[in-house]
Amino acid sequence: MMTTTEEHKEIWEFLTEVPDPEIPVINLVELGVVRAVDVTEDGTLKITITPTYTGCPAKKLFEDLIHEKLVEKGFEKIEIESVLSPAWTTDWLSEETLQKMMDEGISPPTDGDKVIQCPNCKSKDTKLVSQFGSTPCQSLYTCNECKEPFNYFKCHR
Amino acid sequence: MKLELQHDESKFLIRLADTSVILGQRLAEMCSRGPFLEEDMALSNISLDLFGRAEELYKLICKIEGADYTPDDLVYRRNEREYYNIKLVEQPNEDFAWVIARQFFHDLYAETLFGQLTTSSNAELAGLAVKVLKEIKYSHMHAADWMDRLGLGTEESNHRLQYAVDHLRKYIVEIFDFDDLDRRFIADTASLETTWRNAVSAKLQACNIEEKEIVTPSIRDFRDGYHSEHMGNLLSIMQYLPRAYPDAKW
Repeated sequence: MMTTTEEHKEIWEFLTEVPDPEIPVINLVELGVVRAVDVTEDGTLKITITPTYTGCPAKKLFEDLIHEKLVEKGFEKIEIESVLSPAWTTDWLSEETLQKMMDEGISPPTDGDKVIQCPNCKSKDTKLVSQFGSTPCQSLYTCNECKEPFNYFKCHR
Repeated sequence: MKLELQHDESKFLIRLADTSVILGQRLAEMCSRGPFLEEDMALSNISLDLFGRAEELYKLICKIEGADYTPDDLVYRRNEREYYNIKLVEQPNEDFAWVIARQFFHDLYAETLFGQLTTSSNAELAGLAVKVLKEIKYSHMHAADWMDRLGLGTEESNHRLQYAVDHLRKYIVEIFDFDDLDRRFIADTASLETTWRNAVSAKLQACNIEEKEIVTPSIRDFRDGYHSEHMGNLLSIMQYLPRAYPDAKW
């Protein structure tokens, strides 16, 4: 039975190889979806995850992708549990993750959705087109400067 | 299936779960029928939130009951009289004003209700309430915004919103006709009603809609599984596939 920290670290590494199905540049660990990694006494690998939005269509896919990755890495006994508390928040996204989003053309969440920057020309003169976008976590904006439409990752807290 | 819940908490929770799933279905009917693309996506997104919320609530019910059935069974295998949603949410998508007024009335109610449930003694329910409250607030913002635009828009949009509000307000009285079960699980039923009524009056006034005298229809309480004539039609569409092909898998 191995439950060393080293092993857990390796598992967390494996999980960073699982991309978010809708924003592939971000992985599920960065997104804050993976909450805990445990190995139980009988050697079952237990992964605790939390959904971004309760109705996120990718919710089931998160579990399937994690399962698939761990099987690929040679694990056999895998259990994935989804919990709602503490509730997912965009506060869990690191500076590095926010930068990745910006580089990918998705404007990252800002405090209270107040100042929203265009990912194309970096202007802060932008306007809301629709509160809801292509995924539950995004809304639609247009840049008043370069006129390009873009997705904004909503501040959720 | 003939559903017989054993625990009071699940008897209370199924009212919330059914209300979420039925409103989710009504909004799903709007998919590809929104007035324009962005709004179509908005309604579909809100529908997904409602289905997600319903699923979590049904899971909680299954857990409390120690049931051998699943959330899918609860949604697809119950008949009209075994559903306990408020009648407001089963009202049809007569036009866009109906969709918006129904959503506004519901979101305001849901926001106060789930707000109170965040301090529930059931930690799982409290956690769920914290989670969904954020989503309800966002949806509420959307509906409130459209209330203004329709009410203060053109003569035609104001007229249509007035017509929708007049119809939907008939289904409000029963929501606040609380029973013992409600009083056990909702911390403050009185403030739930006053908060709702005050906020609605203020909004209707602000968007130039009259609060007319209404006649409440003689249909018995949703808490006993009674519905308006629209519910059967809604279920026949929602449940068609699993009833025609039982246990079908995607």
